[in-house]
Amino acid sequence: MYLINELIALLAVNLILMQALGTSTLFIAADNRRNLVGTALVITFFTTAGSAAAYGINSALPEKYSDLTLLFYTLTVGILYLLLLTLMYFISGEKFRDIRKYIHVSAFNCAVMGTLFTVSGNAAENAELNTFCSFVWAGAKAGIGFIIAALILTAAYRKLNSAKVPASFRGFPAMLVYLGIISMAVYSLK
Amino acid sequence: MNRKPSVFDGLLGDNTVLSSLMVISPVIVCGNTLRSALALMYAFSAITMLSVLISSFVPRKIPYAVRIIVYAVISSLVYIPVRLAAQNFYPDSIEQIGIYFPLLAVNSLIVFQTEAKFFRMKRIRMIGSLVFYILGFDAVMLVTAFLRELLAYGTINSKMTGITVLTGGLAQPFGGFIFLGLMCGVYRWIRSAFVQTRSEADVSDK
Repeated sequence: MYLINELIALLAVNLILMQALGTSTLFIAADNRRNLVGTALVITFFTTAGSAAAYGINSALPEKYSDLTLLFYTLTVGILYLLLLTLMYFISGEKFRDIRKYIHVSAFNCAVMGTLFTVSGNAAENAELNTFCSFVWAGAKAGIGFIIAALILTAAYRKLNSAKVPASFRGFPAMLVYLGIISMAVYSLK
Repeated sequence: MNRKPSVFDGLLGDNTVLSSLMVISPVIVCGNTLRSALALMYAFSAITMLSVLISSFVPRKIPYAVRIIVYAVISSLVYIPVRLAAQNFYPDSIEQIGIYFPLLAVNSLIVFQTEAKFFRMKRIRMIGSLVFYILGFDAVMLVTAFLRELLAYGTINSKMTGITVLTGGLAQPFGGFIFLGLMCGVYRWIRSAFVQTRSEADVSDK
């Protein structure tokens, strides 16, 4: 029962199904299992590490300079982007060429930046969430939410792209309608 | 048959939202009232136009990853005056739009399509093409917001129209997903019919 409750909670705050963040990246990721795993892992890294950094930025930035928040978040994601690229270059060697595409697609993504703003917004509304651990956990949950949404889409990906679907609706339009129906189901669970 | 890319592609042939599926989250979540749509159209147009124009001066010698960061930083800086101005023009809408306002500054048209599309063109052509890509987004946002507001709330720009049968779900994100999916399908159907008619006309001309 605990697991079901946690799953419903994860779905109810899902950044794709509830906020439509990172939808186009999800469509690219759902294309094949390898892309899905690669993109989901990199996005989870960015949302988790980015949220940890967002906690530091929010704590250090005075309220009157709140318009600069986006700039600092962008710089943070930029630094993480370069760090991850450098790290992967030294770790993965020849595989770097394959891996870097996931990093390029994931870094400046609505899912990542949207998570940082959502987590910060939730912390501003509820003081209990304004802790380093809450930020990191919320960032990780956003990444897990992306994986769940990607798995849901992958399950129907082939059928939505099959010749049985009318040509005009095949692919992206059908996937949008499908995500809408899943989103409606999740909405009813809230 | 491959046709030559046109400067007008962003509006119809390769629409920012309906064809490329770029910047769809604000359309899905915030494109449910004309007021929000107008604020988003202003923000998207101003941020994208200025950011891409300024970014076009960034030297190509810089490594790709660093260039991407520079583009994102430029748009984050452009966002500041645009937001300050928006607080005067659209004070209520800014609150409603929430996180989708800053997210416009890191949209894929600025961060990725600059490299893939715009910076391969000469500057004058780039500006023309960019204007039509922006208009493509604005047109979809306007049509989506108009229809969703009318069908979900029975209003046009917050004015009652007298429609009694309402579909409240259309104002929700799931309604946005389904509505945009249907719009995408209809757009593709019209585009394919248009291309077919034109290619038939080309054959008959020869």
